[in-house]
Amino acid sequence: MRISLPVLTLSAVAASTLALPAAAQDLDGLTVAELLPHAEAEGSVIVYSFTSRIGRVEEAFEAAYPGIDMIGYDLSSTEQIARLKAEAEAGQTVADVIYVSDTPVVMTELLQKDLLADYVPPRVADRVPTEFKSPLLAQRLSTKVLMYNEESYPEGAPVDSLWDLTRPEWAGKVVMVDPLQRGDYLDLMTEIVLRADEMAAAYEAEFGTAITVEDGLANAGEQFIADLFANDVVLVGSTDDVNAAIGAVGQENAPLGFTSYSDRRDNADEGWALQVANEVAPSNGIVFPAVLALTAAPQHPAAARLAIDFLMGDDSETGGAGFAPFYVAGDWATRSDITPHPEAIALEDFTGWRINPEATAEIRAAVADLILTLQ
Amino acid sequence: MTFPKGLAPTLVVLLVLTLLVAAPLLAIAADTLGSPAWHDALFSRLSRNLTWIPLGNTLLLGLGTALGSVLIGGFLAWLVVLTDVPLRRTLAVLATLPFMIPSFATALAWSSLFRNSRTGGSTGLLAGLGVDSPDWLAWGMIPTLFVLIAQYYALVFTVLSAALAALSGDALEAAVMTGAPRRRILAGIVLPMVTPALLAGASLAFAAAVSNFAAPALMGLPVRMQTLSTRLFGMIEIGQTERGYVLALLLILVSAAFLAAGNRLLAGRRRFATISGKGARRHRMKLGRARWPLCWAALGICFITTLGPILLLVAASLAPQSSALFSDWTLHFWIGAADPGFARGQEGILRNPQIVKALWITLGLGLAVAIAAVAIGLLAAVVLTGPRLRVLTEAVSQLSFLPMLLPGIAFGAAFIAIYGAGIGPLPGLYGTPLLLGLALTAASLPFAVQTGRATVAQISGDIDEAARMTGAGFLHRIGAITLPLAAKGIIAGALLVFVNVVGDLAIVALLYTPDTPVLSVLSYRYASDGFQQFANAITLIILAVSIAATALAQLLKGRRP
Repeated sequence: MRISLPVLTLSAVAASTLALPAAAQDLDGLTVAELLPHAEAEGSVIVYSFTSRIGRVEEAFEAAYPGIDMIGYDLSSTEQIARLKAEAEAGQTVADVIYVSDTPVVMTELLQKDLLADYVPPRVADRVPTEFKSPLLAQRLSTKVLMYNEESYPEGAPVDSLWDLTRPEWAGKVVMVDPLQRGDYLDLMTEIVLRADEMAAAYEAEFGTAITVEDGLANAGEQFIADLFANDVVLVGSTDDVNAAIGAVGQENAPLGFTSYSDRRDNADEGWALQVANEVAPSNGIVFPAVLALTAAPQHPAAARLAIDFLMGDDSETGGAGFAPFYVAGDWATRSDITPHPEAIALEDFTGWRINPEATAEIRAAVADLILTLQ
Repeated sequence: MTFPKGLAPTLVVLLVLTLLVAAPLLAIAADTLGSPAWHDALFSRLSRNLTWIPLGNTLLLGLGTALGSVLIGGFLAWLVVLTDVPLRRTLAVLATLPFMIPSFATALAWSSLFRNSRTGGSTGLLAGLGVDSPDWLAWGMIPTLFVLIAQYYALVFTVLSAALAALSGDALEAAVMTGAPRRRILAGIVLPMVTPALLAGASLAFAAAVSNFAAPALMGLPVRMQTLSTRLFGMIEIGQTERGYVLALLLILVSAAFLAAGNRLLAGRRRFATISGKGARRHRMKLGRARWPLCWAALGICFITTLGPILLLVAASLAPQSSALFSDWTLHFWIGAADPGFARGQEGILRNPQIVKALWITLGLGLAVAIAAVAIGLLAAVVLTGPRLRVLTEAVSQLSFLPMLLPGIAFGAAFIAIYGAGIGPLPGLYGTPLLLGLALTAASLPFAVQTGRATVAQISGDIDEAARMTGAGFLHRIGAITLPLAAKGIIAGALLVFVNVVGDLAIVALLYTPDTPVLSVLSYRYASDGFQQFANAITLIILAVSIAATALAQLLKGRRP
């Protein structure tokens, strides 16, 4: 797998001129068996991934397809976007496939600028619900939801509504990453605004009176964010900091916070007692996709499609080697036929809101501006 | 037709700086042209929280850090170079280390003492003793300032001690012989002579502080203290890149104003030439009864700012749980075999075949960039201290200072966009180690130029003039006079560049390729998936490399008379 890039580029160009009379549209319809000879002629595939778990996928992929070298780059969503835009400006696309989670930004910065293309492998097309196939193929779902310390609160979550977090007893005791530092937390705030009607109903259920929205705020969602910040919400720099704050064992009256449901799997390793608060009105947070996409002009178009097919998991119950690094409690496969992880709440019982990346992208900047004025 | 003296070298330096600094900077600036981000940042209801308050905090941190670093770094440099304090060599090494320690480790050290219950989790030592530390001590401006000074006094120390070591003994000797009191010698002779080094060190500390992200993010966010660097990082991170770039440009403008003020100060009294051809061997200032107390004070400063954070880093690479750093230590994260029941089946870092390769590539890159940057830095320093061609020298001075203030991600992206594809007959550089090297050289220029000018400014023009009259050319004079006389400053500069390069992530992240793995990227990989122990272990390897480089630099310096 260690060929220097220029050499690799040259050989790829040579290979693609030899093996590729097929246009991109034709490749989209090919089965794995039909893609394979093209992909082998291309010899390699380059993946930009937002998680280092791509390293384990690499090993599994090369074991399954010995003739094709998968080269993974571990880059944050921001870095992927910066790289792809700069590559496009320099007229030199390196990546064939991107695996990324910051979908609202990916939509506006990359997809709408025609730097990406959607591809759904025919093999799994009928087993992925429509909502996860467009505008980009979602591979799995992750979360940013309200969690608590189950050692500190053995009776269960100490709150049953998001509005509880604005009560005096939780002043200075709700922890989250600064939504102006991390995109997924801004998406969470944005979703609360998008669900303003549900927030208004939950307010009435919680306090018994209809909500009055202050001047300058548009709806119950914005009012909630304003109240949360007025209630001294504690901001930190990373999800790990949130986990340590709310999860560490040995705390009395531990704070609550928004973090990833799947981080609960680290409880034993890290000395945490994280548990998800699922019975929260109107919702405990957001569920968002990690997507797979082709770059606009991949140098290894067939191998790229094969890689996406592989990352979607094989036909076994748990998705096999390609999906194994992502088969964890608290994340859900988008494929309807992959058995949910036995240790996690099933997706249909989870109260988290499913984000709509396009709707999020539309008002995200305005929500960021609101938060900016509250800080 | 005659050209002004020094025009040719100035133009060469300017060309290099244009390619490495001005072009990417203009590319970034062009991205913001016509963008509403300028209005948002300066004249909207958002400006207060987006720009002005963070800018105020940033300047406070920058000036505070510069002042604190000059006091502490200056004290240590004086002690080590000019006095007969015991354990000089040990102190000299210890005082350069803090710059190599990542900010988060120093912040961790502070937190483990003063952390209160504001962010839940486990609290610090003080809280453990039953004293609840107030928010101002645990979070915000005070602790951030402490962490930054604790790191960047090493910059002032490195630059200043090189300059002090190059001082001619003659003036001091004369002063001592006439029986001038120590205080007068220091204020009347030493201080004026090392003003360029003090200013260079202070400028570096200022720039490092205003561009530091980790310290204000860790210590400031819980009390909602934002700086321009946390703001611009956040804006880029949430997809509002134009606003991020605008903030970066504002940071550059404000910092440039401060730098210009510093330069004016320097230009106002431009007689710093203190290195003459031969100098009397200096006698060290006798401290008498204060020897040991001062030694203990210096050791105290060094231990708190180096050993504390290093010890915590070591613990954090051994402890399975980040909340209990001193229990259940295991070497698994270093040498353990893959075990499905532990660390999600990840093997120890020394078993990772990439590590050795990354180590060599990091070393090679650090060395190559250090040489390139120092060469450019020296040339720039000569130009800056030579005959001043007003606008041109000012341009050199400012351009060589800016890279430190640009967000790495913007800098990296600009390099790809400009040099990624081929220009005319030149091949495209994207995906090659060369592009990585160029970008890192550009980013390291502030260290190289500032240290270079601090020493070059001291070299007496008489020698150069004498050589010129005998017909020696520019390059010949540099090789025969400037290089040997400025050797100590050059080594100090090379060291700072090297350390900066091996620890850099921001630029590397956009430009690395899988067949050129570097240590900082490997560390980031582990950290991004929550494997802090592995990441800390690699951080320690980076630190070990930096310390080895420091020791080597000391050795090289020590061999010169």
